Amino acid sequence: MVVETMTIEVAEASAVGFKAIGAGLAVGLAGMGTGLAQLGIGGAAVGATAENKEMFGLALLFTVIPETVVIFGLVIALLLLF
Amino acid sequence: MFDTQTMSRLLIAASKDQLEAVVRELYRHNVFDIEDFVESDAQGLEGCKIGMPLPGASESSAELVRIRSIENIYGVSPQGMGSSDTKVPTSQVQQRIERELQAIEEDAAKLSEEKLSLENTIRDYETRIAELKPFTVFPANLADLKGFENFVVFAGLVSAPVSLGVPNEMFSAAYDKSNLLIAVVSREDAEEGERELFGAGFQPIPIPDEAGTAGERTVWYTHEITRLEKELEAVSGRIIAQKEKNAAFLVACDELLTAEVERAEAPLRFATTEETFVAEGWVPTDSVAALTSDLQSATGGKVFISEVEYDPVEDAVPVEYHNPDFSKPTEMLMDIYSRPQYNEFDPTILVSIVFPIFFGFILGDVGYGIILLALGYYLRKYLKEGAGKQLLDVFRNASISSIIFGLLYSEFLGFALPWDPIGINRHLNIGSHASGHGPDAVLMLVLTAWIGILHITLGRALHMYNASRMMKPGKHRSKVIFGQFGWILAMWGILLILWSLFEMPLMPVLAGYPAVFMGFNGFGMAGAILLAVGVLGIGQDSVLELMELPTIVSHVLSYTRLAAVGLSSVAIAMVTNYIAIELIIDPQLANLSVVGVVLILVGIVVFLIGHTLNTALGILGGGLHSIRLHYVEFFTKFYKGGGRKYKPFGKLRKFTED
Repeated sequence: MVVETMTIEVAEASAVGFKAIGAGLAVGLAGMGTGLAQLGIGGAAVGATAENKEMFGLALLFTVIPETVVIFGLVIALLLLF
Repeated sequence: MFDTQTMSRLLIAASKDQLEAVVRELYRHNVFDIEDFVESDAQGLEGCKIGMPLPGASESSAELVRIRSIENIYGVSPQGMGSSDTKVPTSQVQQRIERELQAIEEDAAKLSEEKLSLENTIRDYETRIAELKPFTVFPANLADLKGFENFVVFAGLVSAPVSLGVPNEMFSAAYDKSNLLIAVVSREDAEEGERELFGAGFQPIPIPDEAGTAGERTVWYTHEITRLEKELEAVSGRIIAQKEKNAAFLVACDELLTAEVERAEAPLRFATTEETFVAEGWVPTDSVAALTSDLQSATGGKVFISEVEYDPVEDAVPVEYHNPDFSKPTEMLMDIYSRPQYNEFDPTILVSIVFPIFFGFILGDVGYGIILLALGYYLRKYLKEGAGKQLLDVFRNASISSIIFGLLYSEFLGFALPWDPIGINRHLNIGSHASGHGPDAVLMLVLTAWIGILHITLGRALHMYNASRMMKPGKHRSKVIFGQFGWILAMWGILLILWSLFEMPLMPVLAGYPAVFMGFNGFGMAGAILLAVGVLGIGQDSVLELMELPTIVSHVLSYTRLAAVGLSSVAIAMVTNYIAIELIIDPQLANLSVVGVVLILVGIVVFLIGHTLNTALGILGGGLHSIRLHYVEFFTKFYKGGGRKYKPFGKLRKFTED
């Protein structure tokens, strides 16, 4: 039954759908990874800044380092979609 | 340009009778960063002691404390006031301090006391009203409950009516989900009665010391509070009037006395002997001549000033920026990271040019640019000086860049402007735009990778420049320079290999040439050799650095955020427009009804919320990602920082003049 309905059009349409799912997973999972990494760093960074205001720049720097991961996810998603 | 201010180390020595004149002159010039004297046995300073404060220090401090307390009462602060156009001469301030300060202080103390006593009375009356509240259900005079010799009166709350075994007279009435109970028992039965009452869950409350019924007293107190509040308002009005009258004088006094105290305490940082003193410190080289000649004339030539040699690397030279006006606001972004070291390459100008470009590249939208510009203009009222104003200036430049990029991208709040995008198309296939060919995502990604390659190459080259300038010639310096050159070679080697294998837009096409070795063509081979030489160069500087090799790729790819974050911002804007206008407003406009009008209002709310959110995200995305690319990807390639901030002795005077 399944084999009979699987025409080329259907296959193409589902390929587009799978791409969209892949793009979503790329951004979502990468975002979770970044979030997990920033969880610890962010907490420590806020603590350090509260102790010493001059730490702000360095704290910000450490906090944004894992951001690259989600950007990679976003880039992969863009490449998949366009 | 690209250099911090050149500093000279000055040594000022004179006999102690010139101390005051020298300190006064140094304070006026506001350029001398005093190097604190530490008592030690260092050569040439044996036996020197830390100086004593100038006479008058404690008097000035005491007066300053008085001024500050008046300022506190009136809520005046010198920081909160902008510089005044007409400055008061110090002699006049001095006279007014002697003549008027006493009266002003007495006024302030009186007003503050009046205010405090009114506030206390109001608070007291409010407590009394609260205490009277349970007794409002008791209709008789409260004074009648007191002053018995042979009876004891119990008053309190019980949840259910109680009957006592001892002879008594009792009043009970419902009050606030409970019952007010007043029981009068003869003194000999008091103990027994009390036990019975507490057994029934009786919570005693004090009987207010009042004459009259609780209701009457409450009304009287409420009237009194209203009256006192009016009085309080009048006193507050007088305080504000006094504040307006005296604010200018107070801040002028504050400035004058602060200056006197700071001057008087300056000798604590000098080295002194019985008869002489020595002050050491840093002065920007271009101010040395003016300071020297003014010191000479102020002391009648009785001062010895000499420039001392110093080692720009070893000595902690204070660092002051030396940038064109355009780049001055960006110094704030540099200070957040770290101030450059003395003699280090100062990248402020580069940041001030590249940061707005990155910001505009990400948030290229005429609408958002105008909103940010207006927002910045509005906030300028509240942030008049310091880091806040610098930040606003940075964002002004960024918003202008955003508008320019918006014109190129043809975007206004996610809508297309009446022309096609120039160069790069970022319009997504959403709603009525679905027929378009979609954004040039790949083109943008490659373009941003190029930006990354060039930015990082520049960073590495700057590291080589810094090393050649700051380090002593020798083996160590050559190692560092070749190490950095190795990083550049490795990156371009990888690029050559990639070009020889794949065809990419905006990149040189080197694929398709006959293979020479292991499937690589000539360019690929050249790339592999560059990479190998680069790795050797990095390794000879530090083997551990080889661990960082993957950052060659990851840091370049990190720049693709310029494209990705920008596209996500466009997506949010376009989706907001699609939902608000095409899905909600347009169908209702076509067929107008009462419900339709409500739905249109909902659509407008959706539109506003969506774009407000996107503006906030745009500031965060555009600002934070742009500065992060500088901090993490660019600065880590060459920038050391950690310079000591230049803090000259003295103050720019806002309210007074000599």
